[in-house]
Amino acid sequence: MKRSMLCVTALMAAMALSACSQSAAETEAATTAATEAATAAETEAAAETEAAAETEAAEASADGESEAPVQTEPLLVYLNDFDAVIPDMFKEATGYEVEVVVGNGAETMSRIEAESSNPQWDVVWIDSMYDVYNLDLDGQLLTGLEPENASGLTDFAKALVPEDKCFYPTGAHAAGVIVYRTDVYDETTAPRTFEELTDERFKDQVGMADPGVAAPAYPLAAYFMDTMGMEGGQEYFTTMFENGLKVYPKNPQVVQALAGGEISAAIMQESNAYEMVHSGEPVAIVWPEDGAPASTRVAAICAQTDQPEIAKLFVNFLLDPETQQELINLGDEGYFEPSVEGVTMKEDRDPNAKLVAADIVFGAENEGDIKAWFADMSAM
Amino acid sequence: MKNRENIGGSGILLILIILVLLPLVTVLFQVVCPGLELSEFDLGNLALVLDVFKRPLWEKAFINSATLSLATTAIGIILAGLLANLRVNYEFPFGKLLDIVSWILMIIPSFILAQGWVYFASGNGIAKAWLGISGMNDFLFSFPGLVTVMVLCKYPMAYVAIKAALEWYPAELVHAARMNGASPVRAWLDVQFPLCLPTYFSAAMLIFMDTVGDYGMSSTITAVYSFPTLPYTIYSAICSSPVRFDMAGVLSLYLVVMIVIAMILQHYVMGRKRFDYLGNGTMRTMARKPRGLLSAFINVFTGLFCLVALGVPVGSNFIMSFSDSFSIERFEFTLENYKRVLQPDGELIVGIQHSLSLAVIAALIGIVLGFAVAYILTYSDFKLKRFIDTITLIAMAVPGVVLGIGYIFVWNQKWLQPLGLNLYGKPSILVLAAVASAVPLINRVLVGGMAKVPKELLTASQVQGASFVHRIRTILLPLLHNSMVSGVLAAFGGSVFNLAITTILYPPNYSTLPVYISDSYNDLNFGYAAAATIVGGACIVTIMLILEFVLNIGNRKRNEYAANT
Repeated sequence: MKRSMLCVTALMAAMALSACSQSAAETEAATTAATEAATAAETEAAAETEAAAETEAAEASADGESEAPVQTEPLLVYLNDFDAVIPDMFKEATGYEVEVVVGNGAETMSRIEAESSNPQWDVVWIDSMYDVYNLDLDGQLLTGLEPENASGLTDFAKALVPEDKCFYPTGAHAAGVIVYRTDVYDETTAPRTFEELTDERFKDQVGMADPGVAAPAYPLAAYFMDTMGMEGGQEYFTTMFENGLKVYPKNPQVVQALAGGEISAAIMQESNAYEMVHSGEPVAIVWPEDGAPASTRVAAICAQTDQPEIAKLFVNFLLDPETQQELINLGDEGYFEPSVEGVTMKEDRDPNAKLVAADIVFGAENEGDIKAWFADMSAM
Repeated sequence: MKNRENIGGSGILLILIILVLLPLVTVLFQVVCPGLELSEFDLGNLALVLDVFKRPLWEKAFINSATLSLATTAIGIILAGLLANLRVNYEFPFGKLLDIVSWILMIIPSFILAQGWVYFASGNGIAKAWLGISGMNDFLFSFPGLVTVMVLCKYPMAYVAIKAALEWYPAELVHAARMNGASPVRAWLDVQFPLCLPTYFSAAMLIFMDTVGDYGMSSTITAVYSFPTLPYTIYSAICSSPVRFDMAGVLSLYLVVMIVIAMILQHYVMGRKRFDYLGNGTMRTMARKPRGLLSAFINVFTGLFCLVALGVPVGSNFIMSFSDSFSIERFEFTLENYKRVLQPDGELIVGIQHSLSLAVIAALIGIVLGFAVAYILTYSDFKLKRFIDTITLIAMAVPGVVLGIGYIFVWNQKWLQPLGLNLYGKPSILVLAAVASAVPLINRVLVGGMAKVPKELLTASQVQGASFVHRIRTILLPLLHNSMVSGVLAAFGGSVFNLAITTILYPPNYSTLPVYISDSYNDLNFGYAAAATIVGGACIVTIMLILEFVLNIGNRKRNEYAANT
């Protein structure tokens, strides 16, 4: 009996080990294959890349700065968009490798929090500005960042950089524009302001994403609470709930509900709204005159990163007008207001689009309370 | 003998503690020790446990989860029992289809099934836009609608478990009952059914646990009509900022309490009765052809059932996979989604490869571990076996995201690095997590099967000098063949589509199939996500059918031999 149990245990241990080694070998093989493929594909670009890196290093030396840092392992970036393009873009520009872990804002933040005793990430680049600022309050971020390209920040972006310079905005998009079905409303009956959505004629017709789950929805709620005061903001949303506001976990569900006719109006993040328009859905977008609450994408560096120089290069790269222009030109994820001057926004984006944001400290300090209040209200 | 059982039981317990309990405890412990910082230790934080009576969201989530799970379990077990009995006792054209439908439903994650139902029943969905059926919208987003969809999504586990256990029946006892004048129904009610109670309870527990911990359905349907459930609330707590692992711990504790109550109830109902009946008086159940009205009923019922249970959600996804629009109302046929999915160097193919290799390893390790757990639970006198049982059930009910967070806490320790055991960020951690998820299911299926094999059979063999391995190989494995096959296939299929754990744990550049599908959906590529689901699902189902065929070759030969002699 004992021998048999030992056999079973030994077998399991062997299997587990082989599983691990197999997976590890697989990863290694995959990495090698990917590297080889990338190398082959980029043979032509390699010379240019190396030249660029050398030039950069030479420039750095000329400026009296230290030599180009040597990379020992890929820079690990946690992000929620642009995962398909940013590693190649950065490598092409600097020669440094980037690996990404993509997830929605909330999952990424919980992963970072769970890793806090032994962080694996080097850079976080997500549209959850208040969450990232909370990381700073916990001492998890490298402070005093002075990227060269920060000199080109727009006034809107400059105002969002914290005093300790723990992160930099790389762009902002509307966390909530008003979208309505054109087969239900015409221009005279359509909602024009957030206030109008509390009107009786929109009863049971309005939807939005859950600020507790969807990253872009929190800045929306925070903006109302900040500008109207906590009580005023709560009163606004209470009226919305009484008017039958439907709260969906994330924006994709809001899109489905609006496209499927579950609701006829929504407060939705702008990229999703424009995607609906492009897809031919019968919807129109309204940018409120007073401004749409912004969801700001920021880049920050882990305080415990072992490659701070390359991480700083990455943040600087994200603040490069050429980088932001390329991201805007990419596709639907490119609907955002750049954080640096000299970048042209998407042609069909409303030129008068105005973004507004809640105060960073207010948004960060009250995040837990606002989300809890919202969650309790939506359950009642 | 007892000493050996204790060693074996302790070994199994240790493995389960590492795989399940330790990660969970790291999350639960956050209640009194936020961030696992001992300097923050404060027993006063336990007051948070009582917030279920204060916070409307928590109270409602608790009640909703309990009512939804109970209603789904009650209806699901009746449905699964009915289908399994029909399938085992009768030979009918849709029999094999029913098996395939159940397997497909079992492996497809609930969020994809829920999506299918939303495509079908939403305001301008397939039902209204194409079939002219109105009112589906109101039905789906209501409690009865949710229970219906949940039952159709969760019955397969119970069906597979019950069907596997019904492969043998107590022929002698049934014949005795019939000779004493009992009708077939009466004989089933008084003889067969009571002897199969452990299987039915086991199956009911499967439905209950799977429902109470389900996040996919919660996020897609229940959240829409203000019906928060515990998994959704746990997810909100984990994804809140500052992250509230303590809240997630408390809410997970509620789930654990529910499980313990369910187990006590089961223990109370079953008591210390014996349910093993396999012996000289038992026979392999032979399906017979139904006649007349019964035949018509079985065919119509199972045909319609398959159409609704699988046809609606998977069919809706299938239709969407040929569309490049967001809604059915504006459907335009395109093959573009499939062209992108099937690109030879496409990321999806890599994702499928990763998921498949993980699932194979998880199923292999899972079946060995699951068998050992079931053996200890059924045949040993190990004192802590109830504890082992509880751990396996907890692993099933606690949402994957909680377990995933716990895995980060456990396997991302600096001191593990020199030992080479810092598994976080490596594919190995996905293997461990997949095994932890697979073991409870395999265990439930096997426990149901083992309950009917008397310990005396093994003891008699031992007395004759058969070694442990010999007893397992020549007695237990042949008698549990169907259960073993079911267990392996369930673990394999379930691991391929395990979204919650892989989302939170997947290493850089190691995307898996469910993560890929989920990302595509979040990027509003609904048609593409649907095409990826169909292609991925088709691959997995094909592999499972081949596996089932291969694993049953020996069994079929034995059946043919038995039939010929």
